[in-house]
Amino acid sequence: MMDKVDKEGSSMQEIMAILPASVRSIMTTLPSAVLEVLEEIRLRQNQPLEIRYGQQTSYVTPAGQITANARQGWIFTQEHVVKLLNQVSQHSLYALEEELKRGYITVVGGHRIGIAGKVVLERGEVKGIRDVTSFNVRIAREKKGVAQKVMPYLFEKGNLQNTLVISPPMCGKTTLLRDIARQVSYGSEWSSSRKVGIVDERSELAGCLQGVPQRDVGPRTDVLDACPKAIGMMMLIRSMSPDALIVDEIGRPEDGDAVWEAIHAGVAVICSAHGSDVGEVARRPMLGKLIHHGAFTRYIVLSRARGVGTIQGIYDSSLNPVRKEQPAWSS
Amino acid sequence: MVKLIGALLVLVSASMVGWQISRSYAKRPVQLRALLVALQMLETEIVYGLTPLQRAFVKVGQRVQKEIGNIFLSAAELLEQGGALSAEESLQKAILRHGAQTALRKQERDVLASLSQVLGSSDREDQQKHLRLAVTHLRGLEEEARAEQNKYEKMYKSLGFLGGLLVVILMF
Repeated sequence: MMDKVDKEGSSMQEIMAILPASVRSIMTTLPSAVLEVLEEIRLRQNQPLEIRYGQQTSYVTPAGQITANARQGWIFTQEHVVKLLNQVSQHSLYALEEELKRGYITVVGGHRIGIAGKVVLERGEVKGIRDVTSFNVRIAREKKGVAQKVMPYLFEKGNLQNTLVISPPMCGKTTLLRDIARQVSYGSEWSSSRKVGIVDERSELAGCLQGVPQRDVGPRTDVLDACPKAIGMMMLIRSMSPDALIVDEIGRPEDGDAVWEAIHAGVAVICSAHGSDVGEVARRPMLGKLIHHGAFTRYIVLSRARGVGTIQGIYDSSLNPVRKEQPAWSS
Repeated sequence: MVKLIGALLVLVSASMVGWQISRSYAKRPVQLRALLVALQMLETEIVYGLTPLQRAFVKVGQRVQKEIGNIFLSAAELLEQGGALSAEESLQKAILRHGAQTALRKQERDVLASLSQVLGSSDREDQQKHLRLAVTHLRGLEEEARAEQNKYEKMYKSLGFLGGLLVVILMF
């Protein structure tokens, strides 16, 4: 428990460190009950400071009070925009070209800052965002142990199953994947430790900073940071010979081919997709094909029914609920 | 005897003054060259290495001549402190702090100051443009400094000695 509190504290500190002094001083006066469940800080030029915590959103007054009235909110001005950008980019906007193209920046601790503003085009392609005016600071919280409940279902006769995690946005999909990676890498009572490869296209799973994972993803985990998923999976299979491949949010046609390829290369694939149940996901072209061909042998469906990360159900390839695998040492 | 020693002292000190002035003329082109090298290194770090500004400053500062390097090292130090200062403010402060120890004149400091306004705050292409502009600017100043060196370096050296000699002759 102590460990968890420390973790929470440090992720708040990381967030505070990148905020301009003026925003920081307001944020620190917020009640700690709010700070503990803070999910997003939304900053828009000339608009009041907005926060999202628990299941609700509110504005924050200059005195650090929560209000529903936008007029009372503390206004984020252009000067603050410049300061925040400086802080986030370490005074080096040129180093963030790729990030500005994708529309978000990952900072120390794996937190993600979404940005919007005026898009600059070059030959019809997005070259970057100039005049950034909106920021969405998403606080990444590492919840160790969330995979504990699903681990017994992921094995069949000691073999790790190909798994698809299905969940609407903000239901703890990435957190769950990360913890599965960690548990597989460390080993648990259901399996010995295995080599894990993570293709982390959006730097969310491992939260890499200069290639080093900022989150605990286990000792036997190799991370290919910021790499497109389809290419990344093939690269990892060839170069790192993983036992399990973990990827977040597959959806493009080439991702499907890569998953197919990986499964037949004897690697267990654990990935996630947006959706609310298996039937819905099966209607999407690429995922539908994978599902009909029986690529996945486990489906984990998440929801927010009983808070973030509620496990709605775990099914096998013919969509029947799965029975728990007994710990390896007892069979 | 005392007179002779006095005369000698006058002569030596006058030549020293002349030598001192001539040396500042000799130093300026050397330091300008170092500054040019520094900016070119900075360009490489920024455009090809995508190194964050603070680390780029440290790298450059350690590799060029000490007087010039100190400006960059000190700017890097200021940038690191809590991040309250912008890149512009830190570089300007560093110039104020270490500029006096260099032979750089106001023109060169102005070039650096105007460069500091854009450093780090735009994309790579733009950074490169501004850095190149500053380099061309400094090249011109370097040539000017060399011409001045040719003209005045020897002159001040002999002027010092001859001036001292004149005083000695007048004293006798």
